[in-house]
Formats: sequence, C-alpha cells, structure tokens
Amino acid sequence: MATPSTDVKTQNPATAEPTNEADQTAAAEPTKPASLPSVFVNSEPIRPEQVENAVKFLSHPKVRGSPVMYRRSFLEKKGLTKEEIDEAFLRVPDSSPTVQAATINQDAQTKTVSNAQTQAPVQAQQPAAAAPAGVISRTISQPRFHWSHAIYAIGILAVSGAGTAVIFKNAVVPRLKSWIRKIASEDENGVAQKTDSKPSVAEEAAAAAKAAADAAAQVAKVSQEMMNTNIEEKRYFRNLTDMLDVQLREMRAMSFSIRKLEEQNNMGALPSYNQDYRVSSSKQQPYANGKAEFDSLSGRSSSPPAPAEPSVPPHPKSYMEIMAMVQRGEKPPNVKDIDDSPPNPHQPISNSRVDPRSKPWQSGQAPNSSGPYQLNGDSDQGNGDPSIPWWQRKNVRITEVENEEDSKVGQYYSSGAPEQPARSSWVPPQPPPIAMAEAAEAIRRPKPAVQKEQQSSDDQSVAEPSDELQRITKISETGGAALNTTNGIASETSPSEIQEEQEQNY
Amino acid sequence: MPVFKTPFNGYSVKFSPFYENRLAVATAQNFGILGNGRVHVLSLPPSPGAPVAEIAAYDTADAVYDIAWSESHDSILVAAVADGSVKVYDSNLPPASNPLRSLHEHSREVHSVDYNPTRRDSFLTASWDDSVKLWTVDRPASIRTFKEHAYCVYAAAWNPRHADVFASASGDCTVRVWDVREPGSTMIIPAHDFEVLYTDWNKYDDCILATASVDKTIRVWDVRSFRVPVTVLNGHSYAVRKVKFSPHRGSLMVSCSYDMAVCLWDYMVEDALIGRYDHHTEFAVGVDMSVLVEGLLASTGWDELVYVWQHGTDPRAP
Repeated sequence: MATPSTDVKTQNPATAEPTNEADQTAAAEPTKPASLPSVFVNSEPIRPEQVENAVKFLSHPKVRGSPVMYRRSFLEKKGLTKEEIDEAFLRVPDSSPTVQAATINQDAQTKTVSNAQTQAPVQAQQPAAAAPAGVISRTISQPRFHWSHAIYAIGILAVSGAGTAVIFKNAVVPRLKSWIRKIASEDENGVAQKTDSKPSVAEEAAAAAKAAADAAAQVAKVSQEMMNTNIEEKRYFRNLTDMLDVQLREMRAMSFSIRKLEEQNNMGALPSYNQDYRVSSSKQQPYANGKAEFDSLSGRSSSPPAPAEPSVPPHPKSYMEIMAMVQRGEKPPNVKDIDDSPPNPHQPISNSRVDPRSKPWQSGQAPNSSGPYQLNGDSDQGNGDPSIPWWQRKNVRITEVENEEDSKVGQYYSSGAPEQPARSSWVPPQPPPIAMAEAAEAIRRPKPAVQKEQQSSDDQSVAEPSDELQRITKISETGGAALNTTNGIASETSPSEIQEEQEQNY
Repeated sequence: MPVFKTPFNGYSVKFSPFYENRLAVATAQNFGILGNGRVHVLSLPPSPGAPVAEIAAYDTADAVYDIAWSESHDSILVAAVADGSVKVYDSNLPPASNPLRSLHEHSREVHSVDYNPTRRDSFLTASWDDSVKLWTVDRPASIRTFKEHAYCVYAAAWNPRHADVFASASGDCTVRVWDVREPGSTMIIPAHDFEVLYTDWNKYDDCILATASVDKTIRVWDVRSFRVPVTVLNGHSYAVRKVKFSPHRGSLMVSCSYDMAVCLWDYMVEDALIGRYDHHTEFAVGVDMSVLVEGLLASTGWDELVYVWQHGTDPRAP
C-alpha cells in the first residue's frame, strides 16, 4: 500500500549510513534534517511472502472467529510490519463481522454435506436448509444460525438413520434367510426346505434367546464385581484421608509451636520477615492459588533455571497468603483507607530553585558544576577520604569483578591501561583546565575532520561497532581514564568534560 | 553503604537529576497485590555509615509502581499509582499540601512513568490498560494517548537524543517505537516470545535499545535492523524486571531480576556479565544508575530495602 512515507523508506536502506553521519554533522539539537526520524521508522519494503502467509492465516475459519486485535497481535509477534498486516487485511475477502455470517453459511453447507449418510434425504434437505439458512444469515447473528442448523442436522440424522434401518431390514434379513436355506439344503435332500426353514428359524430364535440370557447373566456378574471393587476402593480411600488428616494435624501443631518459639525469640525487635518465610515455608503446604506450577516454596535458592520456558519464581510465603486472601475476597488487615487526593488541585506549581543540568551524553557543560555537594575536593566532608563524598569514590579494584581479558572494559573504571600512552597522541595537548580549548577546537574544525583524525590516529582495535558514535564513545572513555590517572581524583570533572566535548555529535 | 528500610515492598528507585545525594523510592504494601502505597524521598548521608535521611514520605491509597523526577523542577516527582492515577508531588511543600495533582485517566494500573530528558517538560505513563499517555505537569489532561498494544504496557522510555521518540514495552511480547508527532507507532519489534517487562535506550547510541523480558534474557536491538537482536544476554535465572543503560558509559547496563540479583553488563564484550550483586533477599524489582555520579547504583526489592552503592563495592558493607 502506497503511503506517503514509502519514498523515505525506499531511500532509507541505501542512505542509512550517510544519514547517520549527516545527523552527527548537523547543527543544533532541536532542528533535525527531515530524513532523521526515518531511522525510527520501518524502512523495509513489503515482503510478499509474509503477506501471503498472513492472508492464509486470516482466511482460516478459526481465525475469523477471533477478535481483530488478537489477529493483529499474532501477526505482529511473527514480525510483520504494519504495512504488511494492513495489506493482508485488505486482501482477505472480508474480516468484518457482518460478512462472517455469510462465510459461516458456506461452512454450514459443507457441514451438512459431510454429515449426511445417505445422499437422497440430504439432497432433499439441503436446498431447504440452504434457503432458510441463507435468509437467516443476513438477518440473524451467528449463534441462532447455528442452533437452527443443529436442529436441521439432527432431523436429517434421524431420518437417515431410520431409512437405513428400514433398508437394512428389508435387504439384509432376506439374504440371511436365503443363506440359511442354502446351508440346510446342502445337508438334506432339498425337498422340505420350506418346512425346515420355519423350525430352523424357531431354533435360531431359541438359541439367540439362550445366548442373550447367558450374556445377561455375565453382565450381572461383572456389575456385581465392579460394585465390590468400588466398595473396596472407598474403604481404602477413607483410610487414606484419615491418615492424611492425622498428618495435617501433626504438621499444624508443629508449625504452631515453631511460631511460638519464634515469637519468643523476636520480641521487641523488628520482625524478621525473611526468617519467617524460610522457616515456615518448608513446614506448611502451599496454599491453593491460581499458580498451579508453583512447586518450589522451600527450595528457593537451589531451584535451577528452566532451559527455555520461563519458570515461575518462588514467591515469599506471605505473598501466597495475601493472594489467597484476595482470591477469597478478603481485604488484608493492614490496609488503611487513605485519602490521597490533592488538597488544592489548582495549587500553582512553583518555579524550580535549581537550573536543570545537561546530561552526560548531551553537549554542553559538565553535569557536576553546580549543586550543594561539591565534588572537586573543596568540601570538608570529614569522612576520612581527603576530598570527595563516599559515593564519588571510584573503586579501582573493579577489575577483579570484571573480566580482565578485555582491556577496554577494564578501562572504564580502572586507572591503568597499556594503550593509554599511544592514545594520548590525540588527547588535546592543553592541560585539562583549558578543557574549553577542546571545545573550541571541535567547533573550529569541521566535524568529519575531527572524526577522521580520531579514527586515523587511533590504533586501538575497536570491536564491532559500525556506528562512529560508538567508536568515539570508546575513544573518549579511554581518554578519560587516561586523564584520570594523570590528574588524580581531584579533577574528575575534567575527564567527563572532555568526554562530552568529544562526544559532541549533533 | 547506606541502606534504607521501607515499611512496604519496594518497586522502583530513581536518583534525582538535580541533587547527587537524593533519590525517590516507590513502594507498595502487600507486594502490590492489594494495599496502600508510599513514596519516599531520601537523602544520602555524607558518610556511608550514617543513616539515610527521609526528607519526605507520601501515602497513597493504592500501590505505587513507579516514580520519576521532573527534569525541569528540582523538587517535583511524578508517581504511577495502581489505581490508575498519576500523582504529582512537590517535596519542597509540606506534606499537607501534597499531592499537587492527581491525574486520573488510565482505566487500569499505571505501571511506569518516564520524564523526557531532552524537552524536560513532558512525561509518559504506561498502563495495564494497553495504552501510553503523554502529559505535562501543568495540564490537567493528557496530551496524547497511544493505544496500539494488545496487552498491558509495562514501560515507556524516551529516546535520550530525539525528543519526540520513545519506545514502549508490552505484555503482547512486542516493543513499539513511537514518534509523538505520528498518530501510530513507527516500528514494531517482536522482541521476545514472552512478555517484555522493560525497555531502555542507549544514551550514547540513539538507535540501540535494550529489552528485559520474562524469558530471563535481555536483548539489545538496533532499530535500523530490528529483525535480529544485536545480542542476547543470558545470566538471570528468572524474569528480568528492569534494564537500564548507563548515563556515563555507552555499552554499560544494569539489570534487576526476580532471581534477586542486580547484574551489570557490557553488551559489546563477549563475556557480557561484568558484575553481579546478590544483596537482595527477595525479588529485586527496582534499579537505577545515577546521572550525576558515575558508577553510583541504587536498587530496591520486595525485601523492603533500598541499597545505594558504588559499582565495585559491596552493597551490604557497613
């Protein structure tokens, strides 16, 4: 389906890379080139095979009975784009509810054909069924149509059954009789066949009656045996439930006594909810709730992860209690009625006392420039560390936690890295206090030139990122780490400033 | 490292973009099933051994699932409440004057709220009524409603560079990319085979986003080629509740999961898991990285504790 954005889409695959570069070289943040938003728009052309699959899916009778939203959601999960889904909906003859009745009419007709056992009565009925069905489908909604059709089907079945029974009696029984006569005539002289046929029929009837009586006797015996076994099963079951009741009582008594002991231990202090959970969870049976697959109450820490399907994590015991209460319709006891409505809905919103700071990833000043807490070593925190609050302290030992194979990762936080001297070649020659010169350089030189310089002089084998922004991010981060070592902790603002200057990509 | 005990189960924690030592916590009584909620505004002490101070606390009738600081006002926060309302608080005003506003438009629980970091004037709310709404603090009604998902929307996240682009994560297993200037979503990413619980953009590459899902994985996507993820991160043993990109390092992410762990990842590295913290004793449901202080992490969980620590240190260390 042609939409206004298809032009952009066809351009986009070819121009994705240059568009990104164009983004980075563009001027200010708010005004963007027209092609920029297309990065967030699906640029793929419509895939015909996907549309065909979707059409098949939508044409399926079962799918037609489902809400439109579920059909769309299913196709989206399969990876179809909006355009492909729309196209499929258009191609399918109809997906609106009014036409569904007509298609069901067709289904009903096929059903009547398949249900018929003999063709004659069905063919007589079918036009009759089709005509009222056709009329009904346009006026009456789906369920009623089904009911009337069901009645028709039952009638057809009854008639056909009766017909076949009659035909069977008329056709098969004479054959049987003639077969018996043949056998009788083979044994005797074929003179008194007629006279023999009658007594043979009588004998057969007597034999059949005997067989029926025997069968009935057997059936009676079997049913008696079944009764006996049922009674025995009931006895066993009663014993089992009695034993279970006894066990339950014992368990309850034990848990009660344990709780008492715990209460005695925890008097006065904050209740140790966690201990409660762990101890009592292993004693009590899980409460009935909607989560049938819940089976690992007691072994929380040792439950292995399921390979592919998400497993239900073990919930704390009181969570199960509350779920059970809610399902019973009770309100948990600690819930209060709170009025949280605004006391003055028209209260004017005051002005901010502090100006917003720019983000580390945005261009502009350093984020740490203002604020009540100093970071540059001027503060007198008195916390043992010479100049910075405790949360500013960067842990040099983080390389233990991280993998040390990749030095790039280590350079995020650690202070030493082998490549730094090599990289310092592109680090601005001015010392950090003149960090603004970096900005001045960046502004003076055109952006691609700056990037090319960085890329050409950088010997570090940067990994896969094709995006230049990521490359620059890496370079700036390692450059920041380098500066961190040379200038010490006091000038923490400057590496971040320089990072920002280098990450200026508009 | 400072620890704060909340009376209710923790759901979300966010650092203030104005003050390095300030953070907000969203909590819910009874695990958020049925009960009240509370918003805490905390102040970190100058020394790690000192207790965390509570500047303000606001009670709500229903659970608070998420909290967000205003990017334009230093003391305003927005809370996502389980009764479908969005409440605006001003921590500089006395508790009796709070909340400033209660915006009630969602028909079901509001699960997430995100403030626009570039425009600074608007925020998004994601709700279980399958829609995302766009608001500003000064208007009583929403500006836009984005309703396309087929199931609960669990999170919405603004793009850090493009002020009009955001992504939404939903229980219909897709992530949608939207532009507020367009009527509908501009991209549908079938991200997982199970519910997607959270999504966040890479702050240094505006085309990369990460998704956290019930299927225990975190997937990193490039919107320019969204058929196949850039990478799939395994390591959590239960559903991953949140994933956030670092504001300071381009490929660094932090995640929290129902396996009670907070993990640190670098998705550009082959062995992506670079840190794991098991300090929580219940589901770890909220995590945040400070924008103002590099390496500072905060997390909260159903064990009713809020931890703040510097990456590489032990959160439970005194």
